[in-house]
Amino acid sequence: MVKKFMALLRMKYIEMFAYQWATLAWSTGAMVQPIITMMVWINIYETEMESFILYFSTLILVERLTAAWDVWDLDRDIREGSFSNYILRPIHPIHWAIAENIIYKGLFLVVLVPAWLVSSFFLPSLQLHLNGWEWMLFISALLLGGGIRFMFSYSCGLLGFWINKVTAVYAMFEGISLFFSGRIAPFSLLPPIMQDISLYLPFRYMIGFPIEVITGSVKGADLGYGFLGAFIWVLIFMGILGFLWHAGLKKNQAVGG
Amino acid sequence: MKRYWRIFREFFRTCLVEEMEYRSEFIGNLFSSVFGIGIALLTIQIFFYQTDQLGGWSYADVLVLLGIFNTLQGFIHFALRPNMARITQHIRKGTLDYILTKPVDSMFYVSFRHLVFWRLIDVFLGIGLIVYGLMEKNYVPTSGDVLVFIISLIASLLLIYSLWMMLMTTAFWVIRIEDLSFAFDSFFETTRFPISMYRGGLRVVLTYILPAAFITSAPAAALLGKWNMITTLTSLLVAGIFLWLSRKFWKFALRFYTSASS
Amino acid sequence: MSIVVDHLNKQFKVHVRQAGWLDAFRSIFKREYQIVEAVNNLSFTIQSGEIVGFLGPNGAGKTTAMKMLAGLLHPTSGAITVEGFIPQEQKAEYKKMMSLVMGQKSQLIWDIPPMETFLVNKAIYEIDDNSFNKTLDELVALLELEPLLNKPTRSLSLGQRMKCELAAALLHRPKVLFLDEPTIGLDVDTQEKVRRFIANYNREHKTTILLTSHYMGDVTALCKRVIIINHGKLLYDGDLDVLTEKLTPYKLLEVHLPTLPNQSWETYGEVDSIEEGKVTLRIPRERIREVSARLLQEFPVHDLNIQDPPMEEVITLAFQEKSHG
Repeated sequence: MVKKFMALLRMKYIEMFAYQWATLAWSTGAMVQPIITMMVWINIYETEMESFILYFSTLILVERLTAAWDVWDLDRDIREGSFSNYILRPIHPIHWAIAENIIYKGLFLVVLVPAWLVSSFFLPSLQLHLNGWEWMLFISALLLGGGIRFMFSYSCGLLGFWINKVTAVYAMFEGISLFFSGRIAPFSLLPPIMQDISLYLPFRYMIGFPIEVITGSVKGADLGYGFLGAFIWVLIFMGILGFLWHAGLKKNQAVGG
Repeated sequence: MKRYWRIFREFFRTCLVEEMEYRSEFIGNLFSSVFGIGIALLTIQIFFYQTDQLGGWSYADVLVLLGIFNTLQGFIHFALRPNMARITQHIRKGTLDYILTKPVDSMFYVSFRHLVFWRLIDVFLGIGLIVYGLMEKNYVPTSGDVLVFIISLIASLLLIYSLWMMLMTTAFWVIRIEDLSFAFDSFFETTRFPISMYRGGLRVVLTYILPAAFITSAPAAALLGKWNMITTLTSLLVAGIFLWLSRKFWKFALRFYTSASS
Repeated sequence: MSIVVDHLNKQFKVHVRQAGWLDAFRSIFKREYQIVEAVNNLSFTIQSGEIVGFLGPNGAGKTTAMKMLAGLLHPTSGAITVEGFIPQEQKAEYKKMMSLVMGQKSQLIWDIPPMETFLVNKAIYEIDDNSFNKTLDELVALLELEPLLNKPTRSLSLGQRMKCELAAALLHRPKVLFLDEPTIGLDVDTQEKVRRFIANYNREHKTTILLTSHYMGDVTALCKRVIIINHGKLLYDGDLDVLTEKLTPYKLLEVHLPTLPNQSWETYGEVDSIEEGKVTLRIPRERIREVSARLLQEFPVHDLNIQDPPMEEVITLAFQEKSHG
């Protein structure tokens, strides 16, 4: 199993270099929207510049490290029928997606962490003073967030067995998540009603919560509730993913790939 | 010119026929357009929940700007984007050869061959938003405003076309160019807000290097009566330069293609 | 003279890619190239109205040469003129008098009927209504397109699509026609129809045609003259009949049997291959009838096929001939 997975990793790694420019385009492109939003907020509250820089830099990092594009791949594979090829192989298809995620996120890490370190010489607000415990909390929140986002995206992709335009549905969720994941604004700047709603939706735990951990804006009991929420969503999506997978296979066998 | 108009009319007609094949998707498309503009409006609401001006532009001003943004985005999706995916196919499958053996300008052909009509919904929604913004501000544009607006809008369309064309031309070297259209979207996102919101070096870059300032801010300012002739003429000049550059780049790419591919 | 090719050369730089953790990374910075000679010192001329078969194994440089003739590729050196034009200049006048059809590539639009593509071409080639209607009527009659014109292209069969491709390419009445594998993948019946159409069209309009094909049948039916190249070099330019008889004075006889008797087949002819239940023999052309009759008489034969030796073999032989001579 380990051997199989290493082979997958290797293949994805080579593939990444074949698509090097595309990867670059996606990564730099993904930074633009947070930077623009940051500009807007700095314009509105000029004195808070430092904390916005920290918030949105973390946003870029967290957003990249939890990024999920699986729905696009799955949608295409299912529509074109090539997904059946994956089903036939003696390894669960989700491993391809997991391997791809590991490789690409490794790349993001290799690019973004040095970029952060260099920037922190010029922007003191990026110098982090976290202790080991806080780092651990951040990394856990990040992994949970990445997991939720991945499973959410993969589940949406599996809907492709039933409906045609899953990417449109997913894009709609992404639109909603802009507000509830902390991408348009830090939660404290949202109208109170939206802050409340965000606690009960999965989107906060995908991106916003890890940022709040690193910027220290959740503390004490709220921290516990945050992790609890993230865990609950992980469990919910594991259930949904498992269910959709089995139902999808059945559907696929019934109609043929 | 007349001949190209006739060819464009043929493209228009064939694409209409093509789209009729898939007319059932209309409702879904309408919904996604309305949803998109809804998200954009909500975003503006959230910012203006905390402030009453953005880079010197009031809420109503920003609505007019957003309306122009939506209109231009509709245009991109109507005439430019549909061709992006095709050019990759043309190059990969070698059908570009057919285009190159035809007595028609290849840049014209690859950029306007495919049109997606339902995207015009975004254009109409955008125009609606412009009108709503003007009403909110209680401002009736003078005929001078409208004239300058039309000139800046033409410059803006030419700029968008040139930038898009340069991006499409990279298809000769870059595989998976669809990903590059994402880079364009990211750039285009910067035009969603007034240029005066950006500061320092970034503002200079977005004015002269990647001329975002001329894309939405200039036409919006014109319509709101805040124009000056120098900016308007500059936008035409910049658009002309970019059009020339994109043309050169396309020719260069074709030279590369005709002597290096197999 | 319709086509003149003079000492034509084309070299390509090919990027060599390696697979390995480090190599993939390294390829960002440093790329290795190899020079490939796709066309090497090629010269020939073609008269107006002639149909010439342009042959060679895969990768011989046929398509490269044809693309240079169509003006799609610039020669590395050497000169081409087609009807007095230099193709690589890509003049509109040149484009209006030639046409290129590639069997593996379609210019028709997938989701809409072929007629729509025809109308786009009408606008592009500036064909006036009168001659458009006249030409279209003629092509519709010759290719039996009537029922196909208004069906979406995706619902047409491969053969129907190819007929429409030909029509789309001929609407502007080109004087020179480049056909790259026009019958590839078609069933025998449609191949035959396409061949007959090309032959008729050439006879009536005196169009100069250069044709590549993997099917010996296309070549024998259409071309009196063939040009053979391999590794970009000219191997043979002349009459097809002379070539075939000289190089392959035999045919292949495929004999299918329920069980293979354990015996020597040499008495019937030269053995080409023996497989489970199948023997292939090389028989001189003049002895085919006699040997077939003998085999049918002496064995419980299931099936018997007589074939021309594969094209690849003829070319290989042509190549050997050259090196011997």
